[in-house]
Amino acid sequence: MPLGTLDRTPPPFFRQGPSALTKLTFCAALALFLMVADTRFTLTQPLRAVVATALHPLQRALAVPVEAWEGGGEYLRGLREARAGEAAARRGLAQQAERALRVEQLETENARLRALLELRPAIAVRSQPAQVLYDAPDPYSRKVIIDRGASQGIVLASPVVNEAGVIGQVTRVYPLSSEVTLLTDKDAAIPVLNSRTQARSAAYGSTGGLELRFMAGNADVQVGDALTTSGVDGVYPPGVPVAKVTAVDRKVDSGFARVQLVPAAPAEGVRHVLVLEPLGLQMPPKPEPVVDESKPARRKGVKK
Amino acid sequence: MIMPRGEDQLLLPVNPLFVAFTLLVALALNVVPLGRVPAMPDFLALVLVFWNVHQPRRVGIYLGFAFGLVMDVHDGAVLGQHALAYTLLSYFAITIHRRLLWFTVPSQALQVLPLFAAAHGVSFVVRLFAGGMLPGWPLLLAPLGEALLWPLVTWLLLAPQRRPPDPDQNRPL
Repeated sequence: MPLGTLDRTPPPFFRQGPSALTKLTFCAALALFLMVADTRFTLTQPLRAVVATALHPLQRALAVPVEAWEGGGEYLRGLREARAGEAAARRGLAQQAERALRVEQLETENARLRALLELRPAIAVRSQPAQVLYDAPDPYSRKVIIDRGASQGIVLASPVVNEAGVIGQVTRVYPLSSEVTLLTDKDAAIPVLNSRTQARSAAYGSTGGLELRFMAGNADVQVGDALTTSGVDGVYPPGVPVAKVTAVDRKVDSGFARVQLVPAAPAEGVRHVLVLEPLGLQMPPKPEPVVDESKPARRKGVKK
Repeated sequence: MIMPRGEDQLLLPVNPLFVAFTLLVALALNVVPLGRVPAMPDFLALVLVFWNVHQPRRVGIYLGFAFGLVMDVHDGAVLGQHALAYTLLSYFAITIHRRLLWFTVPSQALQVLPLFAAAHGVSFVVRLFAGGMLPGWPLLLAPLGEALLWPLVTWLLLAPQRRPPDPDQNRPL
């Protein structure tokens, strides 16, 4: 009998498919590929949209008992709290009434003055209300999911506000829901205007709130300064409250001051929000730069 | 098959529908909107490891990967983060499944604790590379909670298999 006719390894008794190590290698490689595709190339949005849409009914259904629990607690605590809430709301309304009455008059006056100066009329921001479905449980970021999506006309990068101020920005749009990155997320940034000094700067999310980066050590920032959106970004409408300065730490050796902020709208526990349309979509297109034919266009890198 | 010493009773064959049902319940428990609690135990990881240990022929690595993707989308995390963690979890659960069942349930819990800790560690490392925020110390409580839930999960998920094979008037269950 020639060599090699017998199998070196006996055939397996049970067919188990590929070994666990093979499966592990395959799945881990696929997971790594997905991570790179997701963070670097943002290729995975269709897959996400499919899974999110499939998961949506489950999320909706499970939000019901939690809401019922919270709502039930409020219902049982009852009348006194409702009365107190109503009284607070009335007080707030009375305080705002005088301003609200003047706003009408100021707006007409503003429109007339703008017409007089031949300025472009101010843009009225379109908005739609939305409800927070859940806080994303991911402890490595600060995001919430709202119950409006692409099918309700939410577009990417829309600002999200509530009655107290800016909450965040839409960073992912699914067909039936959207993901809002809060201002306190590490990757969030928003251009702001100090309403006392009219100085523009940018606020970034950090652990425990926001911070103003790259403020000179002697910059005019005081504790208690209110920061509003500046409107230079083409996303946020100008004048919406963003944050308040809580601490200014001027270090001698660092050159920059550490300015800590607390957001005007506390993002935790918000139920109802307003999704605004990004200003850039409503602005008229930029005028084409006029090319002067008489001058030859200068080319870079050509020595004369 | 040699019967593990810890078992005092031969178990009935598992119902695949029950396995699917418990996995879906665990997913639902993870999806309940309770806010951002880093110390919350991951019920899906727990049930996945349980079935990987007890039924490695039915619940394997691919299923862990698929459930991981679903959790990634729900969390708004990096796509693949939970998938990688659950894949590794399933692999190590399958690796130790022959040994683990010879121990008593509390010492089983002690042996799966490093698995859960490693799964959270993988998520942590992935997010640090992707530029996430630090989650804080309560994250360390999550694997501990999962290991502490192991006896409860063992009792609950093996209950249908512990029924007597021939129910009669005196033993309806």
